[in-house]
Amino acid sequence: MDSLFAKADAIQPLGKKRKVSHPKSSQKSKDTAQADRTLQSVSKHTSVPKSFSKLPDAPSTYGHIANKKLRLELNRHTAQASRAKALLEDADMLLGDEAGKIEVEGEMERTWRVGQGEILKGAGEEAARGRREWKLDGGPYRSRYTRNGRHLAIAGRTGHVATFDWMTGTLHSELQLQETCRDITFLHDQSHYAVAQKKYVFIYDKDGVELHCLKSHIEPTRLEFLPYHWLLASVGTSGYLKYQDTSTGQLLCEHRTKLGTPSSMAQNLHNAVIHLGHANGCITLWTPNLPHPAVQLLAHMGPVTSLSVDPSDGGRYMASAGRDGTVKVWDCRNWKGAVREWNVRGGGDTELEWSQRGALAVSSGGTVNVYTRPTIHQPHNAKVAPPLYLTHPVVHRPITNVSFAPFQDILTVGHAQGLSSILVPGSGEPNFDSAEADPFENRKARRENEVKALLDKIQPDMITLDPDLIGSLAPPPKLTTATSSILSGKSVPETPFARLPRMERLKVSGKADITEDQSDGEEVDDNGKKVSRGERERRKQRGKGKSLKRYLRKQRKNVIDPAAVAIRKKLDKQREEKVRARVAAKTGEESKKPSALDRFKRAP
Amino acid sequence: MVKISVLQHAPETHLPIRPGDPTPTSRNLDPLMHPFARARERTRALNAAKMDRLFAKPFVDSLEGHVDAIEVLARQPGSLTTIASGSWDGGILLHNLSTRNKLVKLPQAHKGKVSGLCFAEGDRLLSCGVDRNIKLWSIGRDASDQPLSIFPGKSAFNSIDHHRTDALFATASNLVQIWDETKSAPISNLTFPTSTETITSVRFNVSESSVLASIGSDRTFTLYDIRTGKAERRVVMQFRSNSLAWSPTFPTTILLASEDHNLYTFDIRHLATPSQIYKAHVAAVMSCDWSPTGLEFVSGGWDRTVRIWKEGQGHSPEVYHTKRMQRVSSSIFSADARFVMTGSDDGNVRIWKAKAADKLGVITARERAAIEYRDSLKDRWKMDTQVGKVARTRHLPKSVHQASKLKRTMLDAQRVKEERRRKHTRAGESKPKAERKKVVIAEQT
Repeated sequence: MDSLFAKADAIQPLGKKRKVSHPKSSQKSKDTAQADRTLQSVSKHTSVPKSFSKLPDAPSTYGHIANKKLRLELNRHTAQASRAKALLEDADMLLGDEAGKIEVEGEMERTWRVGQGEILKGAGEEAARGRREWKLDGGPYRSRYTRNGRHLAIAGRTGHVATFDWMTGTLHSELQLQETCRDITFLHDQSHYAVAQKKYVFIYDKDGVELHCLKSHIEPTRLEFLPYHWLLASVGTSGYLKYQDTSTGQLLCEHRTKLGTPSSMAQNLHNAVIHLGHANGCITLWTPNLPHPAVQLLAHMGPVTSLSVDPSDGGRYMASAGRDGTVKVWDCRNWKGAVREWNVRGGGDTELEWSQRGALAVSSGGTVNVYTRPTIHQPHNAKVAPPLYLTHPVVHRPITNVSFAPFQDILTVGHAQGLSSILVPGSGEPNFDSAEADPFENRKARRENEVKALLDKIQPDMITLDPDLIGSLAPPPKLTTATSSILSGKSVPETPFARLPRMERLKVSGKADITEDQSDGEEVDDNGKKVSRGERERRKQRGKGKSLKRYLRKQRKNVIDPAAVAIRKKLDKQREEKVRARVAAKTGEESKKPSALDRFKRAP
Repeated sequence: MVKISVLQHAPETHLPIRPGDPTPTSRNLDPLMHPFARARERTRALNAAKMDRLFAKPFVDSLEGHVDAIEVLARQPGSLTTIASGSWDGGILLHNLSTRNKLVKLPQAHKGKVSGLCFAEGDRLLSCGVDRNIKLWSIGRDASDQPLSIFPGKSAFNSIDHHRTDALFATASNLVQIWDETKSAPISNLTFPTSTETITSVRFNVSESSVLASIGSDRTFTLYDIRTGKAERRVVMQFRSNSLAWSPTFPTTILLASEDHNLYTFDIRHLATPSQIYKAHVAAVMSCDWSPTGLEFVSGGWDRTVRIWKEGQGHSPEVYHTKRMQRVSSSIFSADARFVMTGSDDGNVRIWKAKAADKLGVITARERAAIEYRDSLKDRWKMDTQVGKVARTRHLPKSVHQASKLKRTMLDAQRVKEERRRKHTRAGESKPKAERKKVVIAEQT
């Protein structure tokens, strides 16, 4: 038996610390260095890989936690997080491509003086292909890029719809729909697109074959697709915002905005909230699970013509343009006044769009102006425009749409005579992630990403203003037994639910009948003295007990019983009526207003 | 002078160089490039938890052949496939797990039930029965239905276990006897001085092979050493134990399956309290066996369920049940820790997977990586209400569910009553007793 114990003592359980006496470190290192000849001979020619090298450990901040297991787990988590952070910095080296830029040297030089011709000269051969002019007749055009920036969909007001790969110049489909087309958007990738036509929303596939006619979206004006939730959102002239799940085909919900025809629409890429701009100058923020706007603000003194949310800052800033000739930049966390606002020159509706790296394009009159960070976000009291980064005149009015190409330095402007795309150096994100959006993905990768996106589809009821809500700490439960400890301010150990008395348990679980307590309290008698319940019972005249009251007294279970509640309500009503009658009798009939119907009253 | 550069992606870095090459992928770890990363990961975790339940088909096969309830199962040491089962009708069957056929059939091995089985060196099997005989069988090529030798005893035997290395074995009847395979009479009798019990089970320690543990009908658990030839320790508990098993990896840990619906692990260095209580069964636990890894163990109960526990986690084990499985009287792990065998009153030996959603067959490296990723996701999101609920919930037969509900109510009521009693006695007179300290009544040496 003793030998068994000795064996077991040698094998400590994993959790327990083994007590090892540490010899002096200097002596030890000398000893080992002398002892381990192999190590000595090898160490000259070897180096530890960087991934194995010692990474910084987070300082333990969980000393106050008594539970050993929890403390260990938390320490492990923080260490892992800090290590991951350190590794993330290393990963920046792998980002290969460089963002574009325009830099001026002299103090008097300005970037906005640089024209497209000069930029084209400075651009490489590949990049120069982004400067295009598409001369099309079909009315003012709107355009939309896919998420990877490779494919472009255009829709002319009079019904010319086309989708194409602009890099190679291959046309996927071209349709003459011969009715009003107000908006176009790709669905999850280039294989499907939706068009807001005169009466309904139609979905076409890549070859232009009509797949669906969404008859529940009536007279749509604007479309948005939420890629991670697979939701197609549309607003129509009747002011309804409708969400259609494109993976299941169900109409998820429809919200009545009650603010007339929305004049503009945008989505926040980082929390999937839909922003609507209305004709009365209001901007409303919508989520599928709220029947009313999550935020509503009066932004402009006229219709809101365009909206855009900054994707470069986690969806923190929103820009809006109104027909009152102002452009405003808003902080989405604090709606108390715009961060910055300025007036634009020239007539026509102002259109704006934010690029991936935070360049804001504003079209007004016959020009497209581009502003850059950080000056757009900086609060400024005077109503002056931020320093201009780039400007480009467009002769074909009106300009109906501006859209940046993702992962490219390209801005596409839709106007009456077709589309023109210009180069805006520094607007596009240089490094894409193939798991999210890859301009160079092949057919197989597209298919695989489609399946993965379907598997990772987020449920629409998880759309909230704060995207970090998921996976954060749960709010404290409402049903708590710790009321007494909170009141006293001491850390009294919480009584478990099962050990509370019955009344307390009912109260905690929200089933206690609170309405009963009203009659239980002390009442004032005729002389103005307070009389307790027992006293009242004793002094009560016998024989006058109402059957209902007796029933209630006997039913006293302290549980909300619908029957008892109804009876109590009825008794209250009777009492009130009695009081009213008494008052009426005191004051007499005069107090009543003479009515035209009095003539039909019978004489008493 | 103005410096202008426009972003352009070099096609040669993003397109395959030769036809047939894989398209290069690029990564950008900026969190802004990955919106809804957390929500998407949660969706994946939920899907992983659901898939786990979807593929949870633990039942592999049922080995038939006995005409009465199965009493005992034994695994051949050093073999992945051979197990022996003994039944109440006196029959012994040797099964091959991979081919699922019977290697040896001994239909009339004993009169009355076969109460103990164990394997000896060199393809031999020892069995004992209530007919007061121990029989040694050959199960190799020269297998026959006549035993190699018979060891007659004085009283009915309840259990048998073989020494790990020597040609010795121990039997349990009204006392523990040590036998030599070559001698027809026991070489020594072991008993605790004051005991008058019936020993129900006896097991040799795996590491220190001369140490022996037994459990008896008078609620005791006794430790012997065959070198000194006497009982070393004895523990009297609240309820009797039905089965015991030594941990294969930690030499002093022993597992007891108790009549009070719980399992207990004891460190035999501290016999005053169990090191862990395992609570989930709703009736007496009839059998238990460790996984060869020592990280898990299986238990079968009177409540017709088989449960697979993680060592050190005293609640929410994996539960297996079928409509036709009756009281589980014996359960063992397979030698590769992937399967669990149970014998029940309905006369079938059932094979279950140790992990319900495990895939049998060849698993490719990609598949393995995906499985590991799903496991880590489940672990990471187990605190999420929905994910945790899917991962935790197990369907139980109605009778078991009702019994567990009733048990919970009774325990709650008991606890509340005790609480109230304490409240109304003089302060400090009756202190609450920890659950672990209630188990052992007395420790004797």
